[in-house]
Amino acid sequence: MTSRRDQSLTLVILGVFSLVALLPIVGILVTAVQDPNGLRSFGSFDGIHLGNFGDAWTQGHFGSYLRSSTIVAVTVVVVSSVFSLLAGYAFGMMRFRGADVLFYVLLLGLMVPMEAVIVPLYYDLRDLKLTDTYWALILPQIGSSVAFGTFWMRAFFRTVPRSLVEAARIDGASTWFTLWRVLLPLARPAVLTMVVLLFMWTWNEFLLALVMVSDEGLRTAPLGLSFFQGRNTSNLTLLAAGAVIVATPVVVLYVFLQRHFIRGMLAGAVKG
Amino acid sequence: MAAVRFSEVDKRFGPVTAVSGLTLDVADGEFMVLVGPSGSGKTTALRMLAGLESISAGEVSIGERVVNKVAPRERDIAMVFQDYALYPQMTVYDNLAFGLRRRKVRKEDIDRRVASAAESLDITPYLERRPGQLSGGQAQRVALGRALVREPQVFLMDEPLSNLDAKLRTQTRGEIRRLQQQVRTTTVYVTHDQVEAMTMGDRIAVMNDGVLEQCGTPEELYERPANRFVAGFIGSPAMSFFDAAAQADGDGVRLRAGALDLLVPGAPRLPAQVTVGVRPEGARPWSGGGSGRLGPVRGTVEYVEALGRETFLGVATDGARLIVHHDGRATEQVGDAIEFGIAPGGLRFFDTDSGVAIA
Repeated sequence: MTSRRDQSLTLVILGVFSLVALLPIVGILVTAVQDPNGLRSFGSFDGIHLGNFGDAWTQGHFGSYLRSSTIVAVTVVVVSSVFSLLAGYAFGMMRFRGADVLFYVLLLGLMVPMEAVIVPLYYDLRDLKLTDTYWALILPQIGSSVAFGTFWMRAFFRTVPRSLVEAARIDGASTWFTLWRVLLPLARPAVLTMVVLLFMWTWNEFLLALVMVSDEGLRTAPLGLSFFQGRNTSNLTLLAAGAVIVATPVVVLYVFLQRHFIRGMLAGAVKG
Repeated sequence: MAAVRFSEVDKRFGPVTAVSGLTLDVADGEFMVLVGPSGSGKTTALRMLAGLESISAGEVSIGERVVNKVAPRERDIAMVFQDYALYPQMTVYDNLAFGLRRRKVRKEDIDRRVASAAESLDITPYLERRPGQLSGGQAQRVALGRALVREPQVFLMDEPLSNLDAKLRTQTRGEIRRLQQQVRTTTVYVTHDQVEAMTMGDRIAVMNDGVLEQCGTPEELYERPANRFVAGFIGSPAMSFFDAAAQADGDGVRLRAGALDLLVPGAPRLPAQVTVGVRPEGARPWSGGGSGRLGPVRGTVEYVEALGRETFLGVATDGARLIVHHDGRATEQVGDAIEFGIAPGGLRFFDTDSGVAIA
């Protein structure tokens, strides 16, 4: 039992941290709808000007950037999710020689930051004539996403009672059928959480896009936003509107899948 | 329906041998119970029969077919798991129908078989519920139904009652036995509970440390245990043992252990040192020499287990610790002196070193 005093203290601490996290976001949102000519300082308010979003969209070519980001993020998330599900199933449910070693090799993909491999990766992809194509953005991110996804899905499959899979095998289900029809419905919170995380990380990836593509038509949203910032250092409202445009898809996806996301994050942590 | 045969079967997990040289025949339609303590290899043996574990050596056959390399789904078996393993996202109906659908059984037949299994297990009202909405007993019956509806050649059951409370366990025990006798499907049932084994099995296979110690009817195991392990494992309360010096004396054998001195008429030829086993019902309070019992043996009551209809007294004598059976309620208290007699026919003898029974 927590006392009333403990509860109040918890609420105060949570409130302070929520404010720290939310204030910059609220600041950007408020700035994004300001009168672009009347702006005095970051976060100040003088009415709602939704036209800023239209201006930022046209001036910043965000239509093209968002299209590139969508192509890259959707491909990476779909392919990585399928691979992660299959690899996680194998590592979590099957016993085979070398499983542990293979899994730790895969985990290297989680531990090595993109900054450490970006230069050799650039030369490799250039040799393959893949720089300045979507493949240069998609393939490396599939690699790093599958490392995390496999780790994530393996953890989930380890929590599933083995007897469930064995019962399905005895009942006549193939490995494939067992995965899709018996386990996948149970894995939905874990899969959707993985989808949100992978989408967020892929969408926000900046360095890879900066190094691998120079063609403006291939620029992703964060890279486009950075170029947009370079051109509009003085126009804070347009910058903020651009930032809001770039962040919106991830926020929409999160809100849409939030219920599953929380359940996925809690899976295994809470009994029941 | 089909017979099941284990022939010199081994199972090794790396350096650990879980099952060693298991040879066991289960007749067509028989209810065979594999019983033994934790780690005795009984579940591993069952899983090898199910195809869930590979076989390191030997052969497992179902009917005429060696199934060592046959996938579980092609063995025509159904298994009831300890944790039931019901598909949580499916309704009870879909759980029962799952195996039939996988085998492309016609929908009308599925409906008929599910309805029939549900009725015989009294789960018809729950067909549209999900496993999460069932009590332990209901989930257990659904798991049984899933096996029953398949009409397989062999039922495999891995401690299916261990998650139920004592009352429900007794009730379900009878229900499983009734269903098995009704369908006469060969059944291999694993349990660590010797009461379950004794009450359910046509025959019982007792396993210990990966080795089959003895296989026989409940009566054979109880009356003629092959060794000290089986004698101690089967029966509740367990058989008491004490080491004694044996010496031929006229037509009988004199057994001496501390102050205990018993002249056993008609005993078999025994080595000089022997382990003597006494079932609780073989030791009863002394009621005079006319009872035919050996004694009186004097001891002190160490504990009292009053079960209402009968009472078991733990008694320490100079030379042995025995359990004495008392009809109804006993008046003795802990620390009281007691005299009791031992039925000579109730004594079992085992080699002190090897534990093997001496007939």
